[in-house]
Amino acid sequence: MDDPLTNPSIDLKGRRILAVDDDRINLRIIGGILRNEGYEIAEAASGEQALEVYATFQPNLVLLDVMMPGIDGFATCRTLKKNYGDKCAPVIFVTAKSEADDVVMGFDAGGVDYLTKPFRPKEVVARIRTHLSNQQLVEQQKDLVQQLSKANAAKDRFLGMCAHDLRNPLSSIRGLAELMDENAIGELTPEQREIIQTIHGASQSMLQLVNELLDVATIEAGHLKLEKVPTSIVEIVERSVHLSNIEAAKKNTKIEMVTGGMDPIVDVDRNKIRQVVDNLINNAVKYSPRGSIVTVLIHSHGAVAGFAVRDSGPGIPESERHKLFKDYGRLSTLPTGGEKSTGLGLAICRKIVEAHNGTIGVDNIPGRGAEFIVSLPLHK
Amino acid sequence: MNFSGSILLVDDEAHIRKFISLLLRHLGVTRIFEAQNGSIALEVYKKEQPDLVMLDVNMPVMDGIETLRALKEINPDCVVVMLTSLANRQTIDEAVALGAANYIRKDAAPEEIGRALSSTIDDCFAPDEPEGGGTPADT
Repeated sequence: MDDPLTNPSIDLKGRRILAVDDDRINLRIIGGILRNEGYEIAEAASGEQALEVYATFQPNLVLLDVMMPGIDGFATCRTLKKNYGDKCAPVIFVTAKSEADDVVMGFDAGGVDYLTKPFRPKEVVARIRTHLSNQQLVEQQKDLVQQLSKANAAKDRFLGMCAHDLRNPLSSIRGLAELMDENAIGELTPEQREIIQTIHGASQSMLQLVNELLDVATIEAGHLKLEKVPTSIVEIVERSVHLSNIEAAKKNTKIEMVTGGMDPIVDVDRNKIRQVVDNLINNAVKYSPRGSIVTVLIHSHGAVAGFAVRDSGPGIPESERHKLFKDYGRLSTLPTGGEKSTGLGLAICRKIVEAHNGTIGVDNIPGRGAEFIVSLPLHK
Repeated sequence: MNFSGSILLVDDEAHIRKFISLLLRHLGVTRIFEAQNGSIALEVYKKEQPDLVMLDVNMPVMDGIETLRALKEINPDCVVVMLTSLANRQTIDEAVALGAANYIRKDAAPEEIGRALSSTIDDCFAPDEPEGGGTPADT
């Protein structure tokens, strides 16, 4: 593939220039200078002829005399811009020195530059090279952006498809292992139990990864659909705290909610915000020492309300803070109970919160721990 | 789970059928029929007349929605629980409009699937009307 990103060198040989002048001698002089540089030249002796030649020659640049009988250079330029829009080649006006005041009018008509007669060959060559290079770079950039957005869309489709097709088999593996562990097909020997628990654990963490990849792909592909309804933050947090406490008890960690007597209502997609609350609470449990307390504080101030999850972990190293909400942004800090991390959880949280026009941030609490704060627009 | 009836399990993926049927047996369901697509499911339904159908949404040959429609034509009172892999609101709404009793995400943990199934059974089979009967035969 011709990759303009890694190959920015610009070869301008063979680029097409349309020179328009009613003065044959001028045309011959300019034609000579430019052919010498390796450009392909077409000539026109009037504005009308220029419009005709432009259509067939499709030049990369137009040199346009201002003073011509019939339609003049400015009018020709305006017609070209009207006919070809963004795709119109750059137009350089050619004017006599005494007409220098016309330059402003030329820019108004859509010209990019001007040359004065009599020509100084080096100036002509330099200015034309600059504009041709610019134009080529713009074209290359457009191509590149198009290629990249196609590649990105393909990546999202691929990711979504993979995740989809991996998910069902993985959930069956996990489910079957769990059922076997519950003696669904009879009592297991200790070794069989250990093996089945390993299968269960491995499929569980793969399933989580696949689900997170699927979330990322869905969000990136712009398919994140929010079903917003007025919702009590306290209600959502309460439910998450209750469910997470069951898992947290394994680490002897306790999760508490502090409402401060507030019960703010926000317009949110409940499942999505629940996912954010769950994720932040799980992280807090994951990175706090065994036997600690995680606090979820409800806040409401002005037009925003939300919650903050405060842990007693090691806090976020300042040098790694920038990675925190990015895809696969794993930090050097490790979970305290050997839990798994994909590095996608907080990136998903950020995308969900931002889709609600909210904000998510983190502060280190002096002393110990980190506090993740989510703020959402209050229900009107 | 307090259910002595029979269940027809319809899914094109063998591992899902394996998983759900083991789960059902673990929950005490003894009469389980399986079908790998909608048209086979209709044949089995007519022959065996199960009390409840667990029906996958995405299947080749005849998809879940189409099968649900056909089942309801055979028996408007048949109890159908949809099995979905992604919670697709539109499909779920369509299934409910066609008379599906509930939907279950098959990527959920066994415990959660069991809970959803029990609540559907409690809703659809009143306790004073004992369902099913006969001698349980292992599948």
